[in-house]
Amino acid sequence: MKLGRNLNIVVTGIVLCGLIVGGLAERQYSGTEEGLRPVVQVCYIVSAVGVVWLGWRWQKLAGAITSIAVQLKQGKPVQGICALSEAINERANKDADRIAELEKQIENLQIQIQLSQRRGKNTEAIIYSIRDAVIVVDEFDKLLMANEAAGRLFNFDFNSSQHKPISELIGPGKSEFVDFLKQSRRNRAGATKKEIEFLKNTEPKTYDCIISCVYDERQQVCGTVAALHDITREKEIQQMKNDFVSHVSHELKTPLASITAYSEMLADGEAGDEKTLKEFCLIIQNQATRLNRLIEDILNISRIESGLIKVEKKPVSLTILMEEQLQMIKSAANEKNIEIATPKPIVFDQVYADKDMISQVIVNLLSNAVKYTPAGGSIKIKTEVDEIAGLARVSVIDTGVGIPEDEVEHVFDKFYRVSANKKRAKGTGLGLNLVKQIVEKVHNGRVFVTSEVGVGSAFGFELPLAKSETVRV
Amino acid sequence: MSGKKVLVVDDEIHIVHVVAIKLRNNGYEVLTAGNGAEAFELACEEKPDIIVTDYQMPVMSGMEFVEKLRSNEATRDIPVVMLTARNFAIEDEQKKGLGISQCLSKPFSPKELLENIEDILYQRQLVADN
Repeated sequence: MKLGRNLNIVVTGIVLCGLIVGGLAERQYSGTEEGLRPVVQVCYIVSAVGVVWLGWRWQKLAGAITSIAVQLKQGKPVQGICALSEAINERANKDADRIAELEKQIENLQIQIQLSQRRGKNTEAIIYSIRDAVIVVDEFDKLLMANEAAGRLFNFDFNSSQHKPISELIGPGKSEFVDFLKQSRRNRAGATKKEIEFLKNTEPKTYDCIISCVYDERQQVCGTVAALHDITREKEIQQMKNDFVSHVSHELKTPLASITAYSEMLADGEAGDEKTLKEFCLIIQNQATRLNRLIEDILNISRIESGLIKVEKKPVSLTILMEEQLQMIKSAANEKNIEIATPKPIVFDQVYADKDMISQVIVNLLSNAVKYTPAGGSIKIKTEVDEIAGLARVSVIDTGVGIPEDEVEHVFDKFYRVSANKKRAKGTGLGLNLVKQIVEKVHNGRVFVTSEVGVGSAFGFELPLAKSETVRV
Repeated sequence: MSGKKVLVVDDEIHIVHVVAIKLRNNGYEVLTAGNGAEAFELACEEKPDIIVTDYQMPVMSGMEFVEKLRSNEATRDIPVVMLTARNFAIEDEQKKGLGISQCLSKPFSPKELLENIEDILYQRQLVADN
């Protein structure tokens, strides 16, 4: 087929060349040179043969087309047409495959776009859900993104603040943060951290501020991300821990100082007579006991908190426990001339409790009442039973110095000491926390306090009553 | 240095007691107080030669007491030895500013305290003699 088509083109070319050359030769040399005439004639003859051959080819092609048409009309299969049809089908199939491939690529791209959009939304959702304030600014320090926490912290609405300079959005009171943000960008810092203090709704707060620069493909800073984590509470706890260590070391060193000094005096023979020698030994013994009690208090809190303390619960009478513990603090109360009103006996005030632990609770409350009640004051002890609620309640009411209103809720916190009363008496800030831990954590009870400065305080606790059948008669 | 008057201030009665015995055994006259406020009154009345005071006390702390001593004409120059159960609680500059001659950490040795008192009084004596 291809050869035939090429042959047609060649022959057509020859015919045209023959005619052109023959024509030109005849025109140029007509009448001058006889010798050239045969050339013209050969050209025309070649052209005539070519025309005849081409006519024969076209007639043959016309015959073939006619034959195919006849065969098609008669419904007979035509070999050439089938090949054409197959070629067309093959081409169509190839195109269909290509289209399918392109469609698949489009589908993949659409999926990629959706994934990318979802990722973007997820990232936004993550940033929005973070409790810490997160701010993203561009290379000109204009706001790109901020979560709700950041909006609350700096008092701006993100939607109306986008693309505004961060220094305009954040007030002068928080300029330290803006300066740090700008400085980190200028320094191209990977991640820098700084503690920043400022007011949040008139409340002083400390934030741990971490700033990271974002780089583009040319490694140029194209933005900055700032995260602000509120560490006010952590700082307070850290301060409380430091204060606790300081208090405890002071409390431990005080009896230790007596033990060291008196033992040195004994060793140096400065006790003098037998009576002084005995007195020194007794002081050493008492101070060692005091030291041990303090260490036990610290360990007890630690054991209760970690759940390692051994608890031996059995039915005990609160009134009897109260009577026993009163004897322990009577001498301290007498020294300050404090009168103690004892409870009326109650028929049934048995609670299911660890006797030693509840004794510790009572003695802590009583000794606090004596410590913070001025000389000549009084302490009243109330023991009540609420049969409907199934509770026994003990209250220690003093005529002491009282606690300021804003500090009352903290008195059971570990290490907490009422600031106004720190100078009045020594303490570790552990006694009332131990009371709370024993009553609430070990016995499922409740501690309570009411107080008025200059009038006095009422500290107490409630414990579930022991069930009658568990009480041995 | 016998016959010199020492004021011992601490809310821990046992510490006051042991220091007083140590000093009396060595010929000193000893006055005692349980807090800064009581001690200041006593210092104004008795004008002791030296004061030994605790750092942390109820009512008036050791530092407040020393500040008060320094602001009073009659007690301004009395040397002070401070006992403290808190390490590093008193900065050197603060110590210098308030004229605290010596700081001893609790637990302390009564013998060392006595030596410090004697040194301080001896230095004072030398300055006074010259």
